[in-house]
Amino acid sequence: MLYRVMDKSQLPALVRGFMESYEVVAPVKRGERYVFDTVDSPDQIALDYPQTASSAKKYLFPPVEAMMRFDARANLVQDFVQEVKPRVIFGAHACDISGFNRLDLALAQGKYTDPYYAARRAATLVVGISCMPTDTCFCQLMGADEVQFGYDLFLYDIGDKYLVSMSSVEATNILEACCEIAEATDDDRRAFRLATRRHQAAFNPDIPHVEDVPMLMDVFHFDPFWDELGGRCLSCSACASVCPTCYCFDIRDVLQEDSDAGVRERTWDACTSPDFALVAGGHNFRPTGRDRVRHRMYHKLNGFMVNHDRMLCTGCGRCVAACKADIDPIQVLRFFDEKGARDDR
Amino acid sequence: MTDSVGASPLAVRALTEAPHVMTGQEMLMGNAYRPWPARITSIRELTAHEKLFEFRLTDERVREAFVHEPGQFVELSLFGVGEVPISITSSPTKQGFIELCVRRTGTVTEQLHRMQCGDIVGLRGPFGRGFPVEQMRGNDILVVAGGLGIAPVRSLINYIHDNRSDFGKVTIVYGSRTPADIMFRDQFEMWRHRKDFDLILTVDEPDDTWDGEVGVVTEPMKKLDINPANTFGAVCGPPVMYRFVVEVMREKNISYDHIYMSFERHMKCGMGKCGHCQIGHQYCCIDGPVFNYWEAKNIQGSM
Ligand SMILES: Cc1cc2nc3c(=O)[nH]c(=O)nc-3n(C[C@H](O)[C@H](O)[C@H](O)COP(=O)(O)OP(=O)(O)OC[C@H]3O[C@@H](n4cnc5c(N)ncnc54)[C@H](O)[C@@H]3O)c2cc1C
Ligand code: SF4
Ligand code: SF4
Ligand code: FES
Repeated sequence: MLYRVMDKSQLPALVRGFMESYEVVAPVKRGERYVFDTVDSPDQIALDYPQTASSAKKYLFPPVEAMMRFDARANLVQDFVQEVKPRVIFGAHACDISGFNRLDLALAQGKYTDPYYAARRAATLVVGISCMPTDTCFCQLMGADEVQFGYDLFLYDIGDKYLVSMSSVEATNILEACCEIAEATDDDRRAFRLATRRHQAAFNPDIPHVEDVPMLMDVFHFDPFWDELGGRCLSCSACASVCPTCYCFDIRDVLQEDSDAGVRERTWDACTSPDFALVAGGHNFRPTGRDRVRHRMYHKLNGFMVNHDRMLCTGCGRCVAACKADIDPIQVLRFFDEKGARDDR
Repeated sequence: MTDSVGASPLAVRALTEAPHVMTGQEMLMGNAYRPWPARITSIRELTAHEKLFEFRLTDERVREAFVHEPGQFVELSLFGVGEVPISITSSPTKQGFIELCVRRTGTVTEQLHRMQCGDIVGLRGPFGRGFPVEQMRGNDILVVAGGLGIAPVRSLINYIHDNRSDFGKVTIVYGSRTPADIMFRDQFEMWRHRKDFDLILTVDEPDDTWDGEVGVVTEPMKKLDINPANTFGAVCGPPVMYRFVVEVMREKNISYDHIYMSFERHMKCGMGKCGHCQIGHQYCCIDGPVFNYWEAKNIQGSM
């Protein structure tokens, strides 16, 4: 991996450089919360944010997206071009870039390509920023505390400077045009090692590290734990909407008023919604909160792993804050951690 | 990242007019969400609730590229109403036309039942993994269907019929609610006189004229004489049926991986993206809808 260092004071110049040809999306502070939003000046960016309330997946996979136009009378597709705005997501943490990489596996890759997602991903640059874990972060347990690909630049905070990992020509051209960059010195390298050490040491030790989680998801599939956990689900789907890796969707046709013309669009959907697995004749394959919450966790902590060799959870902790019913992967890890320990049974 | 065919990387097209340089396969795969126009060429009433529709894709390149395996399905669009997954009930040996057997049950299927010959619908596919016909070749086939489950297995049955010398004995056990609900009866009856073909019809509610079996499909199955070493099972029916049918097949010593079942789940995209059809760690739409019993046993919540 190619890297250089740059002085932190040059950051605004870099952002302005991107603004010349891209829409820039970055973490900004809104009240007590941080969110990803479009910015028009570098000072709006809050680069030292702990975590945003929801992920930046909406820029690759919008909550509502037109797929095609149609003429309902003739029953035909009409010509339609979905323009995709060239964008930079500036200031994504490693877990979120890892989240994009996992979305790539699900949506862009495999037997079929999702052309809408793939076009947005291709038109989006990603600039990463190193972070410090919050109380609810467990990305290190999900292999998402560092990323090796899926970004264009990654800025590692090493004090007064950033050590910059440069992975695309497009972003490096802008970096070189706007900023003074230098070869790293031995001091910079030592500072980098110190920073990674501090990062590693800062994770919440109360979130248990459990081995063999995918197998445990099968072994305890019928444990009453799931009735208790899933029984309290409110079916609000807040968890899926804030999650960087939930990608389920629905497809629906929307007719324009008094017209045969319409749009086929897709909208975010979630396996926690009660009729998600309902079929004709009224049979529901996951009729209870237990079934649905267990399935959501199963897909994240087993199913995706079986197919792609990594979890579909990045340990970002967003659902921990979003869920009013205290349902999140940490609860599952705790359950496994307590199972068989000491005087349990 | 991956380029979408026929589009610059910065735009996605629905592709009304495909560039002339594209092959049919490229047209089908470029944006696999895009339905292709198909004309209804024939409609046959099968029962009070089910009709057999025959379609012809209007674009020649798409029509030629559209090659399915028995057990695969299409997504059928009526724009403004919606899109539904439907099994292809014709055999791949029937070229140029696609048959779907559709039950009237909700918005899209109601609307389709009101349509006429010459009308246009949208089709995309074929999707999913069908029955392993290559592996089945040379073996006896035991088909067990309940109700509408006959639709996907009819594709297999017709395929075997058109390649008759490639397969051994074929036994069909087909259960319906009443005699009036039996579909494709005349077609199956025509083969009944053959030595290498056995048809067992059973109904839950017989009428005065009924001289076939009464009750669930598993009862006549138990009486069958089966050579487990060279028999493949093909099963499709309502969700409750599978467990009982495979139990009998296992009692007959048919191997786990010779029992094939077609599953139904809620589907939207049909191509492994939307998540609706997930069963355990698998996607019914691309990993299935046909799974063997061994695979099914390894999937949480499959049966
Ligand atoms: C692989 C597969 C093969 C099928 N083959 C056939 C067949 O050969 N013949 C046949 O008549 N039916 C078949 N079905 C069932 C058929 O898809 C439903 O009857 C149909 O979706 C009902 O749509 P509707 O709009 O009329 O009903 P509504 O109840 O008004 O709408 C339900 C909506 O949910 C969605 N949906 C997606 N999948 C399903 C599902 N499995 N069941 C119910 N709703 C679903 C659709 O968008 C549908 O419009 C099959 C289903 C699957 C998954
Ligand atoms: S798990 Fe929590 S956030 Fe998710 S749907 Fe249930 S109540 Fe809502
Ligand atoms: S499941 Fe929760 S912790 Fe895991 S990636 Fe999704 S929002 Fe983050
Ligand atoms: S139907 Fe969308 S993933 Fe299977």
